[in-house]
Formats: sequence, structure tokens, C-alpha cells
Amino acid sequence: MLHKSKRLLWGMLGVILPLPAFAHPAEQALVLLLPTELYTLGGTLAVLASIILISLVPSSGLAWLYRGFRIGKACDLGRAPFVTSGLATGLFFTLLYVGINGPNDPQSNLLPQVIWTGWWVGLFVLQGVAGDLWRWVNPWSGLCALLFGRDAPVLTYPARLGAWPALCIFILFQVFLLADIAPSDPDRLATIAFLYWLFTFVGMALFGPAIWARNVECFSVLFGLISSLRVVHCAKEMRVGLPGWASFSLAPLDMARALFCLAILVSGSFDGLRETFWWLGQIGINPLAFPGRSAVVWTSGIGLILANIAIICLYAACVQGGIYLARRFGTLAQVPFSIAFRTYAITILPIALGYHFAHYFVSFLVQIQYLVATMADPLARGWNLFGLGGFRVTTGFLNSTEGVKPILLMNVGAVVISHIISIAMTHHLSGRIANTRRDLILIQLLLSVLMIAYTIFGLWLLSTPRGA
Amino acid sequence: MSNGTSKKTGLNRRTALKGMGAGALLATGALPGSLGFAQAQSSAPIKIGFQKHATGIGAAYGRWYDATTQAAVKRINDMGGINGRPVEIVIEDDGTDPKRGAEVIEKFANQHEVDVAFGTLFSHVVIGSAPRAGELKLPYFVVSEGHHVASGMLNRYTLQPGITDVKSQVQSMAPFVANNLGKKVTMIFPDFAFGHDHRDFFSAAIEAQGGEVVAKIAVPPAETSFTRYFPQIPRDTDVVYHVMVGPAVLTFVKELGEFFGPSRPEIFGFIDSLEAVDINSPGLEFLEGTYFWEGHPRHAQKDNSEYDTAYRAAVGVDDRGASVSDPKDVSTYAHMFGCWETLNVIKAGMETADYQGPADRAKLIEAVEAMTDMPHSLDHPQGAKLFNGKTHQVFGSQHISKVTDGTLTVEHTASIEDGMYEDEVDYTAQSF
Repeated sequence: MLHKSKRLLWGMLGVILPLPAFAHPAEQALVLLLPTELYTLGGTLAVLASIILISLVPSSGLAWLYRGFRIGKACDLGRAPFVTSGLATGLFFTLLYVGINGPNDPQSNLLPQVIWTGWWVGLFVLQGVAGDLWRWVNPWSGLCALLFGRDAPVLTYPARLGAWPALCIFILFQVFLLADIAPSDPDRLATIAFLYWLFTFVGMALFGPAIWARNVECFSVLFGLISSLRVVHCAKEMRVGLPGWASFSLAPLDMARALFCLAILVSGSFDGLRETFWWLGQIGINPLAFPGRSAVVWTSGIGLILANIAIICLYAACVQGGIYLARRFGTLAQVPFSIAFRTYAITILPIALGYHFAHYFVSFLVQIQYLVATMADPLARGWNLFGLGGFRVTTGFLNSTEGVKPILLMNVGAVVISHIISIAMTHHLSGRIANTRRDLILIQLLLSVLMIAYTIFGLWLLSTPRGA
Repeated sequence: MSNGTSKKTGLNRRTALKGMGAGALLATGALPGSLGFAQAQSSAPIKIGFQKHATGIGAAYGRWYDATTQAAVKRINDMGGINGRPVEIVIEDDGTDPKRGAEVIEKFANQHEVDVAFGTLFSHVVIGSAPRAGELKLPYFVVSEGHHVASGMLNRYTLQPGITDVKSQVQSMAPFVANNLGKKVTMIFPDFAFGHDHRDFFSAAIEAQGGEVVAKIAVPPAETSFTRYFPQIPRDTDVVYHVMVGPAVLTFVKELGEFFGPSRPEIFGFIDSLEAVDINSPGLEFLEGTYFWEGHPRHAQKDNSEYDTAYRAAVGVDDRGASVSDPKDVSTYAHMFGCWETLNVIKAGMETADYQGPADRAKLIEAVEAMTDMPHSLDHPQGAKLFNGKTHQVFGSQHISKVTDGTLTVEHTASIEDGMYEDEVDYTAQSF
């Protein structure tokens, strides 16, 4: 009896990307034909070489490169970000309307497309490389400025809570993203998005927009951290520097933000890990017969929490171990672990950004086409807005090695470069703690080993077979 | 709440829109000289719920099932709809998940109030959804190839009239393999239920043809390199029959080619391994000279039927089975015809039953159960079919193609009879 359908053949070729997942059969099969071991070896050697090279650079030299060079005057934009934020509020509610009243197919509905593809994937990356776009397009600040102006908040935010609520909400968001069985369903997404908007709006109304955004609104915290990585910053004056140069002013972070940095990294890493044959084997699922998201709700949710704990412990052990080595075999004076941990945590951000890019890149290339196509007719009324009615989605670039190879190499590049940036940041920050070259090397020795291991892990994720 | 009509397809979006737009105009009698929908007792559209794998592991396939569905509906509406009423497709994403699939069936029945549900591909989603469709008394037309319909494990409300099942496909391969490729077959299959089914059934089928399976090589599902299994292939093997699946399937075929070199046995597999893959892609040269089962030949043949040609044009697929707008965008051509043919069966069934609304659902199922011959036509561009009303399963011809100079060239077409087997259920004996 053939109770199993040959459909299995198809599915087993597919890859699932986390959210509004796009599965493509050919892409991964073709990746496995490429010499991925060489890419992993090359990437790892590049990271190792960068560790050696950077450790030879005098602290003063690196500090000079990281100081940020003035390239222009301050750009006073006045209330423009509030105006665009107000417009974004209008757009947000328009999207909710489309979510509820538009097509049920998430591939044809602007709400899941804009939220998952435009915002979560696209804006996240732009935030890290281009500018603080979230300040301009968040759907609260403009409305709050209009309604509340400079009025004193009704209630005082309990200072002892710090940014811990933001961390908790971000992890809940991750659980929704990874474990919900239909995170792209327009109705469901519209409901959740509205409830979160309302929760945030009420919080801002009661406690003040700025303090709520700084401590509870997890995406403002997230994008605030990520945007510190960009090379050009415009505050009192416009300055440019190496990626991450402006992040140093944030270090040491408070503990909630320090853990937040690690949580961002874990979200991208675990999302990739849980699709692999290895993970599916750990949770007892045949990687050639993935039964659907509903079968892995608990393992995904619990796995995410455990992955967070594991990475925090691992990172903490490397920081503490570095301090021990520099004290035991060097001349380092007593350094509080908490200070060191909260200082180094900011260096995780480039890797988190790199993983985010690599993890979603293939999905983005396809889904952004759906977004463009849907803009022509968001309510499925037969419109042809913006002349996009003839736009056709294609996945042809995933059907051949010529298309798949450059995409894979871009992802490899993102992972490797992000680690190199992180290594340079770590080296620079070590100068705040250690004075001698010997201490500098010793205190970051274990972190360097961790970087190499994580590079191998990241490149393995890009090339290992996935079954979910 | 939206009716969610799927007026969108990334592949043929504009033409689908035109079709639906024309349908709307026809409905209002605005187009002169049209067939019109005016004679219908009700001008309300016939709603067909399309359970689409828009996300999850089936998404790449859902995309082409969607494109084919849109093209079929456009054609039906251009011809005047069903019983004088336009057809409207209501899409819900099942996430390629059985639990979500059952939720979608409920939404179809209770929220969208569709007339029938349609289009499910992956077996586990069909198996998860069919019981709910039965409870809600919602006719559920699947396009999954699964044997679960004909095996009797589902219910009277679930039918598969547009695509043959895997049992039939595997069985119909045996005569050609035994008579043309060789009698001594080594089977290589993944070591779980799916592979075991192939092993057991094909073994019986090839023995009935005077052949024998000289080795059965089970490969653990998580394996991604296969070279160490190849020495187990007996030297006197004529044919290697593989049903390897998963992301490593191209690696498998490549390593097999490298292992044997030029003096290899014949190699036979299923095109599913290469669905949506450009077989002329660099690195896939080892496919040359190997054989594949194809439900519907991807590459237009020299003697291509007018129906297949017209079907390709309607869906927006070229002679190589790729999107007309991007020759690299290869479709899931071997299977997606099932959506087209199923919708035409629904149309024919509704017309026979004079279907007016949900109260006539039982009449619709009885009308489909009464169907037998489905001639090769534009309604059935893959080929003639024979429907078995008792098992709710259609039977049809199968194709074996050989990769020749980078083209899948049909070497053999198995007859409908080659794929037929004894009934395992009589759904007509079940009450509504």
C-alpha cells in the first residue's frame, strides 16, 4: 500500500525559510553540488587571518580609524521625522485594512509582505547599513508628538525595570515568528499587529513616548542598537567611520540591552539551525518528511529559549575566561565581569546583522517581487496601479548553478565580513580594559576562538541540507 | 471580509486579471456578443476554495498550482462559467501544514461559504484536511497524487479526478523497465515508509513482468553522500531504480554517475527530483541518457498535441516548460496539469448535477462518481483519463522520458490499463 504520496519527493527538496516562508526545491539541491567545504575553509581562514592581523594593529591606530571623521555639518531635519512617522501611522492602518479586507493569500496581501519582507527583512538590514529609518517610519512617534507634545507623562516608568520588558517582548516576538503555525495569515497578522500597536500607543501615552521606546518597545530598542553600526552618523555634525564606530559610545550597555544583542544573534542563528537535518534529527523528525510547523511548535519555542540561554552562557564563559587568562598569564588588574560582558556585547551586533542578511536573502529576493506585484492591485479588484500590473514574479535565478552560486557567495561574504567587523570591534574595546599587548590578546583569546567557531557554524548553516 | 479571490498570480497575473475582469463584465452583460452568465438562475459566482501551499515546504509548487488554477478559471469564465455563473477562486494558505489545512477547510466552509474545496498537493495536508471536509460535508477535490484516496483511508467527500496516484504510476513503469531497460533491477530508496512503499510495490510489479530486484539498498533519510552505498549494487544490474528524495538528490545522481563512469547500467528515476530545475544547468551533465517518469512531459515533443500546446499558452509556459517571461523559471510541469483538469471535472460535474448551491453538493459528488471516460481534449491536456467512481481516483497514461541532448524526450507512454489495479474501497457505499 502506498499511503505516502510521491509529494514527499517534492517537499524533501524544499527549504523552508522562517516566516512567510518561500520554499524552493532547486536552490538547495544545487548548493549541495557546489564546493561548499572550500567556501567554509576559505571563510574561516579569512576570519583567522583577520584576528592575527588586527591583533598586530596598534590600539592607537585602530582608535584613530574608529574615531569617526567629520564630513559635513549637522543636518537639522526639524520635525520632518515626526511628519513621516505620522504618515507611517496612516500607512500602517491602511495596511491593517488591506490585511483584513484584501486577499487571504499571503503572497497577494500587502500586510504580510510589507511586515515580513519590507520591514523585518528589508528595513532591518537598511537600518544597519544605511540609516536610522525606523525613526522616520515608526507608527507612533509622530502621532504621539501631535497628541501629547511635550506634556509630562501621566505615570512614571519604574526605572528598575530598565529595558527588560523590551527583551522579553522581543523573545515573545521571536517565538511567534518561529513557532506560530501561520504567522503570515493576513487576518491573524493584522490582529496581532494592531494589538501590539495599541499596547505601545497606550504605554507611550501613559509613560511618555521616549521612555517607552527606550525600554519597552522592542523594535525601537532593536533598531536603535542595529543602526549604531552604520558608517555615517549625523548628530552634532556628520561623521563617517568604520562600521560600528558609533556603537562604542553605547558600551558598556545595560544588562538588558547586552542580552538583547545576543538575542538578536540567536534569533537568526536558531531560525537557521532548526531547519537543518541535524536539528530535525535531534527532535526525532525525519528530515525527508517534514510534517509542518504545527508539529514543531513546542520544539521551536523551547529550542529558541534554550538557544538563548546556551549562547548567553557560552559568551559569558568566554568573557570570564578571557579575564582569567589575562590575570593569570598577564598583568590585568581586577575587572568586573559585568562591565566586561556589557562592554563586549555590542560587538555581537555586526554578526547578528550579517546572519539576518544571509538567512533571509534568498527569501527576500523572491518575496520582494510578490510585494511589487501586489502593489499593483492590493485589494484584488483588478487594478493596475503604478503600471505594475504586468509584473511577473520569477524564481528562475534559483533554478541553475549560475544563479545559485553568486547568491551563496554573497551570503558567505556577509557572514565572514560581519565576523571580521566584530573582531575589530572586540579588539578596540579590549583597549578599554587591558593596557599591554599581552593582556589585549589574552583577554580576547576565547572570544576569538568563539568567533572562529561561530564562523564555521554560520557557513555550515548556509550549506548544510535543510528539511524543514 | 474579503472574498480573497485569487486574482493574482506571479506568473500570469495580468492575463488572469483580464480573465476575471472579463468574467465580471460578462456577468453584467456588458460585453456584446458574449456567452454571458445571464441565463443562470443566480449570477452569484461559484466559489471554489483553493487550499494553496503559499508558504512552507510546498511554496514553490503552490506558486505553479496557483498559476495553472488561474489559467483554468480564466478559460472556464471565458466560456461562460459554470451553469451560467462565473467562477471565483478563494485562496487560503495552508502553510503546507495538516493542522493549518484543517483550519483552512473550516474557513472555506464557514467563513467564505465556498461551494467546493480544491487544489491540495502534499499528502500529509490532504490526510489532515479530508476528515474535516467530510464532517463539514464539503466536497474536497485534491491534486496530490497520493494513494490515500483510492486506498480507502479518506471519505466520500474527498476525490482525486485530475491526477493519477503514485501506486498507479509506479506500477505502470514496470513493463517498460523490464522490456526495454533490463530485467535485473537494483532499487535504491530512502529508508522510511515512502521508500518502503516503492520497494514493495515496484518489486511485485517488476516480478510480474518477468524481471527481478537483485538488490534493495535502503539509505538512511539524513544521508547526504551516497558513494559508500554504491558498491552494494550487484555487477549484473541492468537498471538502477532510484527514488531518492530530499535536498541531496542531485548529489545522489551525480555521485552515481561518477561511480559508474561511461559503462553504467541504465538509470531510472522520477522527474520530481528535477521539478523546477533547469536540467541544462552546468553541473547536471550526468543526467544525460538517464530515464525519468513524467506525468506530463515538460518539454514539448515533436508530435505535441494541440491540447498541450494550447494549455502551455494559457498557463504561460514555453516549449521547455518554463515561464514565458523567464526561460530560467522552470515550472513543476509534470504535475500542475492536475489543477487544470480537476477544475474542468468540477465544471462538468456541476453542469451534470445542475448544481445551484451547497444543497446540491451530494448531487455534485454523485455526478463525478458517475464519470468514466475523459477523452484527451483541452479539458484534459495531459491525456485521456478513466475515472473510477468507487475509489474516487482517476487513471491515466504515464510517460517515460530520456534525457537526450539536454531535452526530456518521451520514449514510452504507458497505457491507462498499465496503471490500473483492483479496487480497495467503494466510497459510493458510504452515506452522505
